[in-house]
Amino acid sequence: MKKILKIIKREFLTKVITRGFLIATILGPVLIIGIMLLPAYFMTVSSETPVTIGLVDQASDFKEKLDDIFSDTLKSGAQRISFVTIFPMEYSAESEKYKKLLEEGTLNAILIIPQDILEFPSVTYIARTVSDLELMQRLKNGLSIVINREQLRRAGLDPDQINKMTRDVSIQSIKIERGEEKERGFDQEYMSALIFLVILYMTIIVYGSSIMRSVIEEKTSRIIEVLLSSTNSFQLMMGKLLGVGSVGLVQYVIWGVMALLAFMIATTSIPGISDYISVSPSLIFYFILFFIIGYFTFSTLYAAVGALCSDMQDAQSLSTPVTLLVVLPFMISFMVIRDPTTDIARILSLVPFFTPLIMFLRILLIHPPAWEIGLSIFINVLTIVGIIWLAGRIYRVGILMYGKRPTIPEILKWIQYR
Amino acid sequence: MNSLILDRISKSYNTFRAVDRVSFAIGDGQLFGLLGPNGAGKTTTMRMIMNIIVPDSGKIVILGQSFRESLKNKIGYLPEERGLYPKMKLVSHLQFLGEMKGMEAAKAKKKAYEWLERFQLGKWAGDRIQNLSKGMQQKVQFIGAVIHSPELLIVDEPFAGLDPINTRFLKDILLEMKKAGKSILLSTHLMDQAEKLCDSICLINKGQVLLRGEINQIKQKYSYNSVLLEYQGDSDFVHRIPFVRKIDDYGNFMELRLDEDADPQELFKLLAGSGLIIKKFEISDASLNEIFIEQVKGSEK
Repeated sequence: MKKILKIIKREFLTKVITRGFLIATILGPVLIIGIMLLPAYFMTVSSETPVTIGLVDQASDFKEKLDDIFSDTLKSGAQRISFVTIFPMEYSAESEKYKKLLEEGTLNAILIIPQDILEFPSVTYIARTVSDLELMQRLKNGLSIVINREQLRRAGLDPDQINKMTRDVSIQSIKIERGEEKERGFDQEYMSALIFLVILYMTIIVYGSSIMRSVIEEKTSRIIEVLLSSTNSFQLMMGKLLGVGSVGLVQYVIWGVMALLAFMIATTSIPGISDYISVSPSLIFYFILFFIIGYFTFSTLYAAVGALCSDMQDAQSLSTPVTLLVVLPFMISFMVIRDPTTDIARILSLVPFFTPLIMFLRILLIHPPAWEIGLSIFINVLTIVGIIWLAGRIYRVGILMYGKRPTIPEILKWIQYR
Repeated sequence: MNSLILDRISKSYNTFRAVDRVSFAIGDGQLFGLLGPNGAGKTTTMRMIMNIIVPDSGKIVILGQSFRESLKNKIGYLPEERGLYPKMKLVSHLQFLGEMKGMEAAKAKKKAYEWLERFQLGKWAGDRIQNLSKGMQQKVQFIGAVIHSPELLIVDEPFAGLDPINTRFLKDILLEMKKAGKSILLSTHLMDQAEKLCDSICLINKGQVLLRGEINQIKQKYSYNSVLLEYQGDSDFVHRIPFVRKIDDYGNFMELRLDEDADPQELFKLLAGSGLIIKKFEISDASLNEIFIEQVKGSEK
């Protein structure tokens, strides 16, 4: 046990005191903070900025009706979307002037409503950017309602009835988190899930392949036999796994602390931003937990692969199956982000190799029941123990093998060796 | 007492018997040579002593105990395939190896500096290993095997690739360790080295023991009536001397095997009257080299 500690210490020190680690550790938080705060900041800014639309109303009675529908206000009490009437004559006479207003940002958009809109429901939307899909969608919905109402009125329906029939549906997305309800937008949920997913995936791959490389280096530098005269292959493998793993853990903890600090600074300095940040301390806990699970699952496999290789070229081809095992859950997780409630997602989140990414996503997106989380951890810990046993057997024989690449039957025989 | 006893250990890979019922014992404070041609099974035997490879059968007793992990702290091992951490500093590398043998960090560091000083590597203590020359790296490797002052030292081909100065230096250190009561198992295929250094030897070929025992006894037993001759001139007539049974002629050096009852003095007289310039005339025991070749060839017939 004492020797494992020595190996851990050496691995840790040689891995930590590298330029790569420093860069990743410092740039990591900057990236996370950026990732965490920027979307939130933009959401805050965009949703808290009033929008002014110039309304060229050739049908002549739309302003009032639109005002009626777009009655929601911002936190400051101002109208979120307000309409300014531009007389059609004036617009056609001085269209240059209005274009300038658009460019200056005095007007966010100009909406031209044709006279025959009731017969041909089509409007023109002029803006500097036409990518504000949310705004356009809202305008479209609002206009549809106005047109429907008008047509129903013409058909002779009672105004009260009309209003009842054509109510705008408002969706308030609410996510349940530890019994607290929080309003969330889908986009920003999606963004943060994606970011965490990529970080988790990247670190698992990076640390896994770093283990593999370090095993191969010890093989090619022939230091392994020297080490085996002081310790055994199992301690060697565990020392390496724990040593490199603790480097990863330190990195995650640094990132976590910095993220929490950033969260605290952001919430106190930008009021309202906390509604848009989806990172909570419990999330960071799960982030680290599933990194540890993923790390041990995959790094142990990578260590075994390293033991099978004689050089880096071997590693390229031999590590492919393991890499596929990491990539597959990553690909599937995009499906899970879209709908984390499916049975497939539920089942996969319990399956080893898939758990780290998919269970984490589910926790991030829907907060699955505690027993499912517990079960997934239990299953994965058992799997890790199994993998370590298996890898230990391969490692023991593999680290002293040079030259020809072993075949699968040979590897199976190694596992059975006494 | 014996520091190391091997009792009929065997190891097979599929149908190939790498080591076949090899037995020998090393007494306390003995320098023991494990000899054999390339591929004889020396390295496999040593790896089995270190429990890096588990024998299929047989028993190994080290320092009075059967193998256990804690024994590794009392053994020093220099494998044939040398290994270093190229990116580590000399002193950290040695300190790490010392600590892996159960030494306290501070003590390991101190010892590392002492040994580096002794091997005239003190100046480079803080340098990365990859920046050293091959010869220096080899010295570092040796230090790694002895830094914890092991009771039993196992060195596989320690002289391979060393220049004459370092060979002598290493030899001195081995002898000094022996004097300090340490037991040493040394493998080599260089017979003259073994002949000068070892108290006892075990000669193996194709995994089997051919010869085993104290070097003096072996030499006596296999001593043929032979003469070493260094000369200049035409040596043709030597070939015609009736009691010379066999000649290895190297041009200005020859090794002569005489009939068992022949008197070397007779040969000397003949040579003296021949006009051949004799630079050296030596009545010798059979050299270990000769015994080695004879035995290996014999076993392969």
